[in-house]
Amino acid sequence: MNADLETLQESNKTELERRGSIFNIGAPATEAVTIRDQIAVGFGDGTVRFFQSGSDPKTVKAHKGVVLSMTNYEDHVLTGGEDGRFLKISSDGNIDEIFNFGSKWVDCVASHKDTKVCSSGKTVYIWTKNKDKPQTLEHQSTVAGLAFDNKGKRLAVSRYGGVTVWKLNNNKWTASNFTWKGSHGTVTFSPDTKYIVTAMQENQIHGWRINDKADLAMRGYPSKIKSFTWVGDTPYLVTSGSSDAVCWPFDGKEGPMGRKPIVVANGGKELATFVKALNGEKAVFTGFTDGSVLLAEIDESKKPIMIRSSTGSEVSTIAISSDNSQILIGDMKGSILLSSLWADN
Amino acid sequence: MENTSQVPVTVLTGFLGAGKTTLLNRILTEQHGRKYAVIVNEFGEQGIDNDLVVDADEEVFEMNNGCICCTVRGDLIRILSGLMKRADKLDAIIVETTGLADPAPVAQTFFVDQDVADRTKLDAIVTVADAVHLSSQLVDHHEAEEQIAFADVILLNKVELVGDNDIVKVNDRIRKINPFAKIIKTTRCDAPLDEIVGLNAFSLDRVLDIEPDFLESDHDHEHDDDVTSLSFVSDTPLDMDKFQDWFGNLLRTKGQDILRSKGILNFKGEEERYVFQGVHMLMDASPMGPWPKGKDRSSRVVFIGRDLDNMNLKEGFDNCKSA
Repeated sequence: MNADLETLQESNKTELERRGSIFNIGAPATEAVTIRDQIAVGFGDGTVRFFQSGSDPKTVKAHKGVVLSMTNYEDHVLTGGEDGRFLKISSDGNIDEIFNFGSKWVDCVASHKDTKVCSSGKTVYIWTKNKDKPQTLEHQSTVAGLAFDNKGKRLAVSRYGGVTVWKLNNNKWTASNFTWKGSHGTVTFSPDTKYIVTAMQENQIHGWRINDKADLAMRGYPSKIKSFTWVGDTPYLVTSGSSDAVCWPFDGKEGPMGRKPIVVANGGKELATFVKALNGEKAVFTGFTDGSVLLAEIDESKKPIMIRSSTGSEVSTIAISSDNSQILIGDMKGSILLSSLWADN
Repeated sequence: MENTSQVPVTVLTGFLGAGKTTLLNRILTEQHGRKYAVIVNEFGEQGIDNDLVVDADEEVFEMNNGCICCTVRGDLIRILSGLMKRADKLDAIIVETTGLADPAPVAQTFFVDQDVADRTKLDAIVTVADAVHLSSQLVDHHEAEEQIAFADVILLNKVELVGDNDIVKVNDRIRKINPFAKIIKTTRCDAPLDEIVGLNAFSLDRVLDIEPDFLESDHDHEHDDDVTSLSFVSDTPLDMDKFQDWFGNLLRTKGQDILRSKGILNFKGEEERYVFQGVHMLMDASPMGPWPKGKDRSSRVVFIGRDLDNMNLKEGFDNCKSA
């Protein structure tokens, strides 16, 4: 009986699970970012682990409590923790404490070139090259999301009631406010920097066209949107929160205004919890509440491919190595799949 | 639906100086081997003896759902979802509110936010009241009334400083506002901890604990904005459609003034008891098993709020009786 069961499970494995490695860390994977040929993952036990194909992950004991936020910075990662520390960590385990906020969490981090940014409470702290003291930007309520535009000249800060977009001119930051009632979380600039979009506490995303502050309300989701990603040249903003990956077109003058999204990667009764673009392709990885992951083209007539089968724990992060060769999938139970995306790797 | 993976959350309210921190430190030091997270808002005032203290700003957010009184604690949503990513499982979370806080947004957070509702559950609202000062605080601060009105448990603290007559008076005053809270008289918050944490007071099946002797209370009061309570009992089965119409409309139109509502209902033609409990406009309702054999099938409802006299509650409830 046991042997039969084993065979059955083996045959249920996906191609990527068969050729990849599975690590059980035992703490939720909270964030993942790519640094060269490595993928750094932050966990609920405060560790940051650096994964690389063909070797065991390197573990860095970074925070006491949850790694709340992470981004890449030159050859390092920046992390913010429940322990109030904002850290710069190298893959060989060197930890540089940039700042300690004590009993206040470091909720969000961001970077652009040599600029390091974090938020704690209502304040954003910005460290620029060769300066020990950070510049600070104050807000009316707790900061829930940070994003630079692709030139690093504008910094979007989401909060209750909308987004503040700070613009850098002659070393001074000036604010422009984008208002929409409700609580705004994760924030992103469109790749052409014409739009900003936030995931709200309500089951909707909200966008603004930056030049005229026109509102885009994208509703109809059955759950909160925890993840979004820009895909392809159109581009599409692909979002979690529904039983499919919901893809809003941001081309033309009006973007998604008055248009219907494309829906791909149907998860049946499972809801999408994490989405990640496959760089250079019009395709997206979608992780679901049961741990399964599908790869789908942004084309409703194409069938998605099963990348990872169900683990029973929701997908909390997906990262792709910078050369597009490796994928890492992490879930809330701390199971990590690291696998090569292509058969000949 | 009981979900054992939900971490219970106890909310501690009470005016500054009533004894919240004393109670908090008792819970943390006397419950050995349990792992608690404490979310505090008056950090630095007095030491709290725990590994995991989270410093938060009380941020009351309006939900963008067209419901005007639907406010939530944005900081709680953020902190609770962060705490749920920890590797070690917490036995409980305690939220200490500032002395002047309105408890409604805290309670509503657990009704409104799906992530919070999936992973945590509101265990009870515990209010620490100062036996010496409560009467005057009730006159001067509507927040004091709200903290009494929302409570599942009230620690009437510092009773050693008050004469017996005054204790009876303040006890009666509390009862007039909140007929279903459990009142525990304490000195230095010395109540048994199992009567404070792990109560499951917001679980719908606890609504069945409403005692049938909370009959219509007399409600003579000086100000129209006083918080009072009214309760009704009916031995005649209710008509489900009529009740839903009346109650739904009542919460929609008067929900701002109705702080809490609870009830057990006997609907005509239904074998099961129906229970509900609400916070302002939000409510949770469900069938809760058959009526116990040999006991009266009487419907009981309790309202706590302001201006209840002008809501025609008795008439509305009576109209729901099946013909």
